[in-house]
Amino acid sequence: MSEYILCLFLFCIGLYCILRKRNLIKIIIGLGIMEYAVNLFFILLGYRSHGRAPILSGSQEILNMVDPLPQALVLTTIVIGLALMAVVVSLAVRIYEKYGTFDITKIRRLRG
Amino acid sequence: MSRKMNNREENHRDPEAIPEKPLHSGQNKEPGMTLIVKTITRLTVGLILLYGIYIVLHGHISPGGGFAGGVIIALSFIHLMLAFGKEVALKKLSEAAASILESLGAIMFLSVALLGFLGGYLFFNFFLHKGKPFQLFSAGIIPLCNIAISLKVGAGLFAIFAALVLFKSGEEEK
Repeated sequence: MSEYILCLFLFCIGLYCILRKRNLIKIIIGLGIMEYAVNLFFILLGYRSHGRAPILSGSQEILNMVDPLPQALVLTTIVIGLALMAVVVSLAVRIYEKYGTFDITKIRRLRG
Repeated sequence: MSRKMNNREENHRDPEAIPEKPLHSGQNKEPGMTLIVKTITRLTVGLILLYGIYIVLHGHISPGGGFAGGVIIALSFIHLMLAFGKEVALKKLSEAAASILESLGAIMFLSVALLGFLGGYLFFNFFLHKGKPFQLFSAGIIPLCNIAISLKVGAGLFAIFAALVLFKSGEEEK
């Protein structure tokens, strides 16, 4: 149970980083931390005690293996997170060239 | 002194690429990082590339596979770009070549899938001698699919990074 609470703690660190920080790069890092907390939670859900990786091997019999379904799901999540990170970083580069700063309180032209 | 040694190194690597810009501004002395980073990169980047190829080729009998190996292959080129500047890395693998390799990976995966229609299925294992299980030459078409995926992922990831770098410098020239 405690590992799930630690996952929630990691998620809250990322959420704090997004909500409280003003630098755009730190917000992107917070997004990454939240994503990895969710990935870690999925992997921990599929774990069984003393389980091995779900891969057949030639020489030995595997009796107790972990659940492979969350691992496949997390692999897809990592790919999508990569694409998301590329988009967000390119937006940050664009904003820095237009406004000359990463501080979100100084980007004022978006105000109505 | 370190700048002089660096110039000599690059002169040794490619004789026509002597930097002719007269170091006008202080921020743009030399492309890339310091001498320590460049030396370590020169030693390790080939090993990283070989490890990526190993991960791809053993994808059907051990953890890893097309995606992980492709990411490692792309990271070796990104490592080169971070240490030496974008010209050296883009000379090894230009953006057009990365685009062509990416498209080649997609077409190769699709053609491997469509060749299965010879047997009446999609993704049909069309090799007659499938080899013994848990050997390197086994598992039929899965290594071909892994190679196609690694081409797609590696070239695509390098193209994303190169697009970010070139996009920034292209905007600065305006």
